[in-house]
Amino acid sequence: MDEAAARQTAEDIEKGEEILGANQSPGPDERVLAEVKKSVVAALRRQRTVVFQKRILGAAVAAAVIVASVLVMMRYGNTPAGNQQTRLIASSVWEGADDADVTVLKAEIENIQSELSGAQSDDGGNGSNDIGDLETELIEVNGDMWKG
Amino acid sequence: MAQHDIDRVIIGCKKGDEGCFTQLVDIYGRRCFGYFYRLTGNRDLSEELLSELFVKLVEKISSYRGGSFDGWIFTMASNIFHDHLRFKQRQTRLLDGHSKRIMSQSAGTAGGKDDDADKLQMALGELDSDVRELVMMRFYSQMSFKEIAESRREPIGTILSKVHRGLKKLRELMG
Repeated sequence: MDEAAARQTAEDIEKGEEILGANQSPGPDERVLAEVKKSVVAALRRQRTVVFQKRILGAAVAAAVIVASVLVMMRYGNTPAGNQQTRLIASSVWEGADDADVTVLKAEIENIQSELSGAQSDDGGNGSNDIGDLETELIEVNGDMWKG
Repeated sequence: MAQHDIDRVIIGCKKGDEGCFTQLVDIYGRRCFGYFYRLTGNRDLSEELLSELFVKLVEKISSYRGGSFDGWIFTMASNIFHDHLRFKQRQTRLLDGHSKRIMSQSAGTAGGKDDDADKLQMALGELDSDVRELVMMRFYSQMSFKEIAESRREPIGTILSKVHRGLKKLRELMG
């Protein structure tokens, strides 16, 4: 838009708004404004009542939760369920470890591990072959163990 | 009323002061009524929408976060006008060619004003509904074109062009 067009637009708008200003719309009756004010005050009081009711309701719910929590603690306070469950799980794991097969396999692994340490500390010429054999054996035993 | 007095009233409203709300009705009631009247051409309907606007204002005042209060309240007025159109399923009647007939009839029943005012109401009925609303928003809210563009999420050039077109046509019709 060039300068002349912009000036013309501004003039059109200004003159158009002058027409609107010169022809004001009818105003509302004073009675209507008074009614609107009454409605506003009523809405404001209604809103306050709702807010108050919500606060009361919130406080009542909070109090109920606290009372319920205290009652639960008084009844079950000495035997926390969480600890009991933890102990049960741990027991089952240890019971599983006493399985005969697992014990045999564990003993075998320990035996091979001790042989392996002996071979590693040995300075003999075929030490590297012994270590290789033992490692292969150890891998096989380990594999059997996890297969069950 | 000075801007700082209006600001004080708005702060009072945000605190829930009844007196400040009634002052707000005194400050904005006539302008908002004029806005509704020029859009609907119906006095009873304008009174109804005015009441709805201020009741809504009580609910929403806490969401006002500063900036142009005029822009805020007239955006709310515009939303109420559109809600009303949708709710009453009158949108088609009011926004298309039928609105001319309705506005002409209501101008005759509005009463209390001289012939020029009625002529203006009929001339407004000749404008596209969107253009008419923009012209009224601009005139009654005194918002800048930039503020109107932001509130309506439209490019400022589009708003400027529509208002210009509307006012130019109004001048021709009133001339």
